[in-house]
Parts: sequence; C-alpha cells; structure tokens
Amino acid sequence: MPAKPICLGPMHFDKRGDAVSYLKDMLYRYDVGDRVSASDAVILQAALEHHPKAAEKIGCGITHFSVRTADFGTKCFWVNRPDGTTEKFSITGSIHVSKAKSN
Amino acid sequence: MELDNLLVDPSISSSTTIDWPRLLLAGSILARSEQRIDQEAALRIATAAISLTDDQALKDAGAVLLGKLSNFRAIGLAINRELLAPGIDGRLGIALRLEAQRREIDRSILVQSSGVWLQVNDFQQRFWTNAVGEGWLSASAPTASGKTFLVLQWLIDQVIAGETRVAVYLAPTRALVSEIETNLQDLLGETGLVEVSSLPLTDKYRTARTGGTRVILVFTQERLHLLANVLSDEFSIDLLIVDEAHKIGDNQRGVILQDAIERATRASSKLKVVFISPATQNPEELLTDAPDGVQTIAIDSDASTVLQNLMVATQVPRKSKRWSLVLRQQTSTLPVGILQLASTPAGLRKRLAFIAAAVGERGGTLVYTNGAGEAEEVADLISQLLPELESIDSELSQLAELARKGVHQDFRLAPLVEHGVAFHYGNMPSLIRLEIERLFRSGKIRFLVCTSTLIEGVNLSCRTIVVRGPRKGIGHPMEPHDFWNLAGRAGRWGDEFQGNIICIDPEDTSAWPSGVPGRARYPIKRESDAVLELGDDMANYLVKRGQSDLASLAEMDKFEQVGAYLLTTFMRLGSISAASLAKRHDATSIAKLDQALGAVVAQIEIGVDLAARHPGVSAIGLQHLLEAFRTYAGDVENLLPAEVASNDSYDRFITIMGRINTHLFPAFAPDSRIRLYALIVVKWLKGYSLARIIRDSIEWHQDAGKSFKLPDLIRGTMDLVEQIARFKAPKYLSAYMDVLNLYLREIGREDLIAEGLDIGTQLEFGISSITLLSLMELGLSRMSAVALYEKIARDDLSKEGCVAWIGERLGQFQAMDIPAIIIREVRERLTLPSNVAT
Repeated sequence: MPAKPICLGPMHFDKRGDAVSYLKDMLYRYDVGDRVSASDAVILQAALEHHPKAAEKIGCGITHFSVRTADFGTKCFWVNRPDGTTEKFSITGSIHVSKAKSN
Repeated sequence: MELDNLLVDPSISSSTTIDWPRLLLAGSILARSEQRIDQEAALRIATAAISLTDDQALKDAGAVLLGKLSNFRAIGLAINRELLAPGIDGRLGIALRLEAQRREIDRSILVQSSGVWLQVNDFQQRFWTNAVGEGWLSASAPTASGKTFLVLQWLIDQVIAGETRVAVYLAPTRALVSEIETNLQDLLGETGLVEVSSLPLTDKYRTARTGGTRVILVFTQERLHLLANVLSDEFSIDLLIVDEAHKIGDNQRGVILQDAIERATRASSKLKVVFISPATQNPEELLTDAPDGVQTIAIDSDASTVLQNLMVATQVPRKSKRWSLVLRQQTSTLPVGILQLASTPAGLRKRLAFIAAAVGERGGTLVYTNGAGEAEEVADLISQLLPELESIDSELSQLAELARKGVHQDFRLAPLVEHGVAFHYGNMPSLIRLEIERLFRSGKIRFLVCTSTLIEGVNLSCRTIVVRGPRKGIGHPMEPHDFWNLAGRAGRWGDEFQGNIICIDPEDTSAWPSGVPGRARYPIKRESDAVLELGDDMANYLVKRGQSDLASLAEMDKFEQVGAYLLTTFMRLGSISAASLAKRHDATSIAKLDQALGAVVAQIEIGVDLAARHPGVSAIGLQHLLEAFRTYAGDVENLLPAEVASNDSYDRFITIMGRINTHLFPAFAPDSRIRLYALIVVKWLKGYSLARIIRDSIEWHQDAGKSFKLPDLIRGTMDLVEQIARFKAPKYLSAYMDVLNLYLREIGREDLIAEGLDIGTQLEFGISSITLLSLMELGLSRMSAVALYEKIARDDLSKEGCVAWIGERLGQFQAMDIPAIIIREVRERLTLPSNVAT
C-alpha cells in the first residue's frame, strides 16, 4: 500500500506514520498537567479533526489542549471545552483512521 | 485503691497494727524534705490517715499534713468524699489554725487580670513568682502538677494586665494546639478582651500590634514560621511560651522548633520566652540560647500531687482468669490481691483488654496500645465485656453521630462510644478527638484506648493505666522517661487520691526487654546537638548533599533537617563558629563543618532570607530546584500549580511533586505513590470533607475491583491527610513556590506571581475558597467549616457574610443533617446576632 501523506495545519507529512511519531514526540515533551502551547495546539487541533469521532470529541469547542495521565500510567492529550468538560484522545486514533481505532 | 474485681489474697496477712501518731509525725518530718521519695511517703501517710482511720483527730492530722504539702486540692477531695468532716479549721488548736491559715495565704497567688486569689502548690507558686520580669524561664514538673492550668492563667494575665500585645503559645502537635486553643477560649469566656487564634493570618496580629484587641496565637512550630513568612520584617512578638519544650530533641521536627524560637528571638530583642516541659532532668539546657544579658531561671519540680501505685499483673499458675496484682515501690513489693477476669484471655490483645475491663470497671481507665489498629481492636474487645446500657447518654450518641457523619457510617468508633468505650490516635480529626477527651474527663467514656499520640502532647490524666510491652512509634521499646510520661498520668489531682499503673506480664522480656522501667525524667537535648555529636557524619552528608543526586544519599531522615538548619545559619553568619550552638561542641568538629558548609554555600545563589523561610528544607535543594527551572524548556506557565478547580490540577501536582522529589528533596517518595499523594492534596485543597474523601476512596476500590478493609482504609486516609496534605505538601510546595517566584522575577514574569493566601497555609488548613477560610477564621474546626461549606452556595463569603448565613439558618441545622457537636461548636465559637433563633 502506498504511503498516504497527511497535512496537520502548517505541517506536511509524507507518511501518516511520520505524523504519528511527530505527535508522539510532542506528547513526550510535555509533563502531565501541562497545557499545550499555542503553536502545538494548531497541529493538535488539525490532528483531532482527522479523528473519526471528531465532532463528538470537539463537542462545543476547544479552549485548549492538556497533557494528562491516561490508563496504566501512560499519558495522552486531552481536549478542554468551553463548558469545562474534557476528554482524552489518542494520537493513533486520530491519524490511522483506516485502523478505525477511535479511542 | 480504686481497683475493681479484686479478690483478697488469703495469703496476705494484715495483723500488724499501725501506730498512727508516730507515722503522722514521720510524715510531717518527711514533708519538709525536697526529695520526691520523701514527699511521696508523706503524701501516702496523709492519704492513709484520712481514708483508712475512723478517728477524726487522725483524719484531721492527715489533712494538716496535706496542707504542709500544699496539697489543698486533696483536702477538698477528702471533704467531698466525706472522708473528712468540713470545718477542719474550727477543730484545730489556735496555733495549728494560725499556721494552717498562714500556709494558705503563703500558697496563694493573685491573678491580676481577674483579682482572684488562687491556691497553688509549691511548683505553681515558684513558677508564678519567678515568671515576673523580662528574663527567660524554663519550668519542668511532672504531669498532674497543675502546670498547664497555671501557665494559661499566667499567659492570660500577661496579655490582659501586662505589656504583652502579641503572645505565641507553641505546642509541638496539632492535637495540643487545638486543646490549648479550646482551653484558652474556655478560660477567657466571652470577655472579648483577648483574641485567640491558631491560624497564621495577619489581621488579628496587626490589630493587636497597632493597639487593638491583643492576641494569643496558638501554633505549631511550622505555623509560627508560616506567620513569620507572611509578616516578613513586621514579625515581632512579645511573649513566646514553648510547651512540651523537650521536643526540641525530636527527630526531624526538633530543629524546626529550635529554628522557630531563634527566629522569634532575632525578630524582637525584648522577647520573653517561657519553656515548659514534663519531668525533665535539665530544664536549664533550654536557656543556654538566651541572648546575652537576659536573665534566666530554671524551675524544676519533682513533687507528686497524687499517689501513683505501680502494680504488676502476673497470671496465677494454671488459672488463666486469675491475675495477681503486686505493688512495687522502690525496692519493696506488696501483694494487693487477685484480679478476677470475666473471660479467658487467649492472645495478647485479649489479655490487655480483659485485664483493663476487669480492673478499671469504674471508669477513668486508660489502656495503652502500640498503634491505631490495635487500639481499635482492644477497644472493641473491652466493649464486648461491658453490660448493655439501658439507654445511651445523649453526649455519647452525639459523638457517635459525629463519627458516623464526619468519618464514615461504619467507623468503628461510633458503636463503641455508645458503650462508653473509645479509641484515640493522632490522625483523627481534632473535633472528634477533643470530644473523646472531654467525655473521658467527664467520666462518660469509661475506657479510652490510646496510642503514643498521648505522650506526644495531649494533656489527659486518668484513674488507672493498663499497659503491656509499650512501644513508641514503630517497634522501639519505650524509653523509661516516655514510660513515666505515660504512667505519670495515673491519678487525677483533685479527683482521686491515687492513680494506678498496671503493667501486665512484667517478667516477659518480649514485652518488657529491660523490665518495667524505674522512674525517669527526660534528658533535654536539641536535635541539632544530638546530630552534631555523631561526629563527622553531618559534615560528610553535607559534602554529598552538595554534589550527588538525591538517590544515592543515605540517612536523609537523620541529617537533612539539621543540615538545612546549619546551612542557613552559615549563610547568615558566615561561619557556624559564631552561632550559639558552637559553644556546645568542640572547635575541631565545628571547623570541619564550617569547611563543608563553605564548599556547599559557594554553589548557592539563593539568598539567606529565602532559605530561612523554609526551615528543614535545604538551601542546596532550593538551589538545585532553581537550576532546574532555569533549564526547563517548556512553557514557564506549566511550572505553576494549576487552579485547583481546573482539570489540570491533579496532573500538575503529580509533575510538581516529581520535580520536588528529583531536585529539592524526595519528600513524596517513592514516585509510585505520587498519584495518590496528588489526589489527596487536590481533594483536601478543594475543601472536601474527610467523609467524602473516604467515600471516594471506597468507590474507587469498588470500581477497580480491589479489596479493602474498611478500618484500614479509614485510618489510611486520615494518615494521608495529616502526613501528606497537611505536613509534607505545605512544607515542600511552599518552598517550591518561593523558588519559582524568584525565578519568575529573574525572567521578568512577575505577572505570573499570584497574590493571596500562600499555598502552605492553604494546604495545612485544606482551604482554597474565601468562604471556607472565613469559616475557619471565625474559629471553627475544619470539620465544622467543611460541613457548613457543603451547604453554602457561595465561595466568596466574608466572615460577616458567613455569620449572616449561619444566623439565618442555625435553627434549621439539625434538619439539614448537621451533627449536633458541630452545631454546638458553631454556637460556642460564633458571636451571633442576639435575635437568632436557636
């Protein structure tokens, strides 16, 4: 299967796998409890918009992104909405739509 | 002897007759001696003459002898118990009557503020006479000497009638702080002449300083530092009372106490300091750091006010329900009788419980156990041996209600107190603990099963103490002076003539490795001095502390706090040879320390003022933290704690605690526990009640399918709240914030520095909203404040706003399911508008 390119905001990736590693590196630059910077948030929002359940995940809007703990001692990105609700989403779930991981 | 279920031992003969006149003469000679042993013998003779003879003349002579011992309370007790006919003065001859009256006058002191004359004993009088003037004083006397009562009277007198505007009463545990605060409030009543507070907030301090209502602040050493931090250069107090002052020798917190005293002394040159300690060997040691030119005096008393009978209980061979009691006195022993137990005591806990239940049936019985879990078990066993009560006393049911609503529906304390039995340990919420103590004093709780919290500074005495193999903390056999701090509580002066100490299995070396300890007094030694006497270990620790990563440091608990103290002292003076402690150690080791400190200090840019704000936190740790901030690559805002209501708060605390562990000090080690610690801190800050935190934990365990034992979970939660949320987190997070603010100024980001209540105070009291703070400023315990806060919609109410809210609803509190004891506290602490329906 030929590699599928993907654009996340200003960033272009030849392969989806590159986008995933880019986002993973981004994730690991943060500690849990950190608020994601504005420049990273642009890319992250673009990634979330690729999520198969993007509308549901985004809900009433996005105020900012955070990095927080996830299950089993891992960490992941969380989307924060204007109504105070928050939800986690996975990087691979957003990018590898074909695998239909929709966490 | 105030013992129950005692069978007379037929082998004991009592054929000897006593020559009372001769014995009383001996007693009156012995009463002139200052030796404890002689005074005790005189007291025993006087008590015996009053309680064992039928002859009024002999009883009167016993009373005269008590008068010679300045034991007027015991005379009052004899009259109350109808052992002595009232009007003794009229029965004495002229000469004796004059002498007795002179003695009473001699032994009276005038409380200036109230104009009342108080009858006092020798110790109390010496304290009162010597406490005048500006000199420093160190007073030591055994439990039941009327020490605390007198010192509080004296303190109030100083603040009302003297020059003292701001007085601080330092008590080394939060348990003692709440007790003293309550006592002072009771003594002051609603006079409104003096404010009493245990919150390190500035408004009452400033009012007092600027000529308004004077204030007595009751603090732990940590809280005194918190206040000093907020006030900075303004901080100045007039009078400092240090209770349980021997705790200056405690591991880790002793040096914080020493630092607090030194800091207060530096801040006000005219500070008067009064140290109080239980029976100590060397109260004068505490005075060695008094500034030059200040007069000092030590008052030392060893006199007993009640008789204390040390008895050992040994099982009668082959009869497990029969235990022989033998009185031990100096070198002699005297069989007392055979104790008949209700049931066969299989196992050690049952042995302790059954013996206590039998011997102390009439109440006032304290049972010592070696831990909170054991205390609960033993209390449960005792309660099963007691007859069902026909009705439950209303105060006991209110305490049970508070335990159920304030902790958990199935908290073991609740059904036990309904039977007149309770347990007692340090991490319990103070409102519950103080009520247990109050009901034990009043006799409604007949059995109190306690832990070493009691010897860590709770003023409680009893009729009988039952103990087997006492340990202090985890596993360490109790030292003789600690044992006697405990045992010395037997016998309530003015309530009983004598107290009993029952030691079970005295010959069992696993229980009593060195036998039942002989009477001993505390040696006072500062923690800092004890650590310095270990030789080069301290210097070596400092060298390593400066270089290596924290993981490789050993014995941090022993050296970190004192090391921090030495570093700050060095930073202030340029050499510790100029410090007061240098005179207590040899010059070579001081020089070696100076060298090690000099090398470490060379790496430190943190100023001494910042370091001094965080006693026990090492300046080198602060420096390493600052360096970590400087190399931090992320957005600087992520270094700050997140707003506690925000979704990021819990995770941000996880990261901050991890950062503290790595750079400052592994206070939240191991890392695997950080999540739990962060969770507790967030819930505590959010103003959750203990009951809610416990409920949440139960739900979490159930959802995760993890098994748990409810009593352990309840105790574990109390422990986390006290030790992490209220002790470690405020200490290290406030240091973290201070260094972070320094860094923010360095990079020109002052805009990120938050004003308002510092994180240390927020954490110690578990408050992050203005309403909750206002409720606590009104004098409510956190438990009461949170119970009300759960019903108050607004989070920004001022004190006046809270009073108005309460005033409108007080009549409905019961219907709102607020426990009766909380309602009582609200009524006692708040001056409500007079039209409030109650």
